[in-house]
Amino acid sequence: MELTNVVPPGGVIAHLRVANKKQALQELAARAAHLTGVHERTIFDILLERERLGTTGVGQGIAIPHGKLDQIDHLFGLFARLDDPIDFEAIDEQPVDLIFLLLAPQESGADHLKALAKVSRLLRDRDICEKIRQSDGDEAIYAVLTGTSQQQGAA
Amino acid sequence: MDQTFQIILIGALLVLFAIVAGRVSSRLGAPVLLVFLGLGMLAGEDGLGLRYDDASGAFFVCSVALAVILFDGGLRTQLSTIRLAGAPALTLATLGVVVTAGVVALAAWAVFDNTPVRAFLIGAIVASTDAAAVFFLLRLQKLEIARRVTATLEVESGLNDPMAIFLTLSAVALLKLGGAHADLDVLVALRDLTIQMGGGALIGLAGGRALVWLVNRLEIEAGLYPVLVVVACLALFAGAQLIHASGFLAVYLAGLTLGNNRHRGSQLILRFHDGLAWLAQIAMLVILGLLVNPERLIPVLLPATVIALVLVFVARPVAVFLCLWPFRFTAREKAFAAWVGLRGAVPIYLALPALLEKLPEAHAVFGIAFVVVLVSLALQGWTVAPVARFLNLALPPRPEAAVRRDVDVPVGADRDIVGYTVMPGSIAVTRNMAELTLPPGARILAILRQGVVVEGGSTTPLQPRDYVLIVVDPEGIHALDRIFAPRPRRGRDAGLAAIGEFMVDGRQKIGDLGRLYGLEVKPEHAQMTIAQVIGAEFSGHPVVGDRITYGPVELVVRTQDDDGAIVGVGLELEPEADRPTLARLIGARGMRLIEPVRSRLVRLARRRRKA
Repeated sequence: MELTNVVPPGGVIAHLRVANKKQALQELAARAAHLTGVHERTIFDILLERERLGTTGVGQGIAIPHGKLDQIDHLFGLFARLDDPIDFEAIDEQPVDLIFLLLAPQESGADHLKALAKVSRLLRDRDICEKIRQSDGDEAIYAVLTGTSQQQGAA
Repeated sequence: MDQTFQIILIGALLVLFAIVAGRVSSRLGAPVLLVFLGLGMLAGEDGLGLRYDDASGAFFVCSVALAVILFDGGLRTQLSTIRLAGAPALTLATLGVVVTAGVVALAAWAVFDNTPVRAFLIGAIVASTDAAAVFFLLRLQKLEIARRVTATLEVESGLNDPMAIFLTLSAVALLKLGGAHADLDVLVALRDLTIQMGGGALIGLAGGRALVWLVNRLEIEAGLYPVLVVVACLALFAGAQLIHASGFLAVYLAGLTLGNNRHRGSQLILRFHDGLAWLAQIAMLVILGLLVNPERLIPVLLPATVIALVLVFVARPVAVFLCLWPFRFTAREKAFAAWVGLRGAVPIYLALPALLEKLPEAHAVFGIAFVVVLVSLALQGWTVAPVARFLNLALPPRPEAAVRRDVDVPVGADRDIVGYTVMPGSIAVTRNMAELTLPPGARILAILRQGVVVEGGSTTPLQPRDYVLIVVDPEGIHALDRIFAPRPRRGRDAGLAAIGEFMVDGRQKIGDLGRLYGLEVKPEHAQMTIAQVIGAEFSGHPVVGDRITYGPVELVVRTQDDDGAIVGVGLELEPEADRPTLARLIGARGMRLIEPVRSRLVRLARRRRKA
């Protein structure tokens, strides 16, 4: 799996302004709905259901909300950088400013897990997160995400 | 007369140097025991020229030192640790020692045509572990390892000396018979073993109880309690040894009994013994280092190194995997336990009786034991932390400990008085005591600010560096620690991998987890929470770091509440990918450096697999 196949054009938001976790998930669901054609509410509910099981704020300012959908047939990723970090109930109780949303088809099984693990590994790399935070604009972030993801994929 | 003072001066200087050198070396991550041993060798005949060849004196010092160290080990071992790891540790300490000794003996016999008995002696001598070094090392590097593994290693090291000693003494006895009478009377051996183990256990447990009683009944100067305990410990040790029961087992169990029963002066005794155990380690290792003649090691260097490698890479792993097989350990945990079979001073100590009995092979055996310990301390001691990371067993560092001071309360009062310094960044800071949820039964006695008691203490907001005195049930101390400990700062990613990518709430239904991740939930688990499913696998007593495989993922216990119920569960999505990898050993930058070579190799391997 390469992130280039997962994050579509327009799948990076360099400046997102939200006040809280709920609003962040709503905004991301709206954007994902726009790009996938799935109903916004459906995506939001799926994400919320996952958050109820435990936060996807994995620490160090990163959150990876995710879920499975009947209505899509391939992995879908959406990345957002927040202008102002928000409380995401993250495990380290630190505010979150980088959010990677990952949606997977209902029947994706192991692919879903692999993709999640990969995104998590990618964002665990502090150098990459720093680069993302310093990047200017959607394209630059996209390049950091996918460019490094090739190196990571081989490693 | 001057000679006396010379000896005192040299001895004191050696210990002084050892302490300083230990401190310096610990910054380099060098195993501190190795440094002590090295210092002894350096000061010895082939180094600075101190002549010391009094094996019986060394045996005396080491016996006392080992008794003190094992007693201290028992004193610090909590019953919960024994409950957690008793069975696997006991298996390792008995069967494991025999297997280790057997495999090493086999190698010594097959490779270097030793007589069977001599090979057996070599095997027995090197068969017991010294985990004191390991835990010191782990603590130093602030490394947290899954509790079940560390508890097992800890208890094993406390229990396995008697078995090794028994095997060694049997071998020495056989050798004394001159090999002519090589067939050991099995019944006699079994009787000896029973006396060693049973006698040791009995004396230790009964002695420990008696000691608790004595400490609590006797009204003496506070400073005398630790002394009373030490001499009682030595009396138990020597008494047991004299009737051929295991004094080592006795003192460990006596320490365990004392440490887990309420008694007077417990803080005083603990601190005293901490220092004493350090002194014992230093004295023992420096003396053993002095005793050895590095020049004499040269002839045995090659066979000894081979034996050490067999021990590290064959005997210990075989013993560990065999003994831990019936218990719930992952392969990685077993691998770690195998690697952390660190040898300390005991093997060298065990070689001393051979020297004292003036057996012809004594010097060779002593040299082998010495080299084995050196190799083990250097090779394993130095690599414990990297290996833990490599095997993905390093848990993220726990939040910094609260700065707590305990005050002794007279017996009978089932309360502790504890004092905390309010740390910046802790839950307690800026809140007043009324806002904090203190554990039940906890009462604030006083708040000191810059040395002055704050009036109306319970309603003033706490400030950093305030000192708070609280009287509390012993059970509540844990909860207090959390209130006063600084919370972890952001920015450390060590060990995130070991506990899974995501955290889920253990109190949720496993069915929900299964649905969200497409995991197949076993029918018998349908109505259970995630915590219950994990609990079922560990017969109700899971601890942080325990993990189970559930379909393609692993579930790891990450946090527990005060009653031991699982709260946070790590979800490891790709356990396969988190197996030991090169990347974890050399880090991301190192990987980028070697990447071109590596990817080519991988491609080559894939092609071969297809072909």
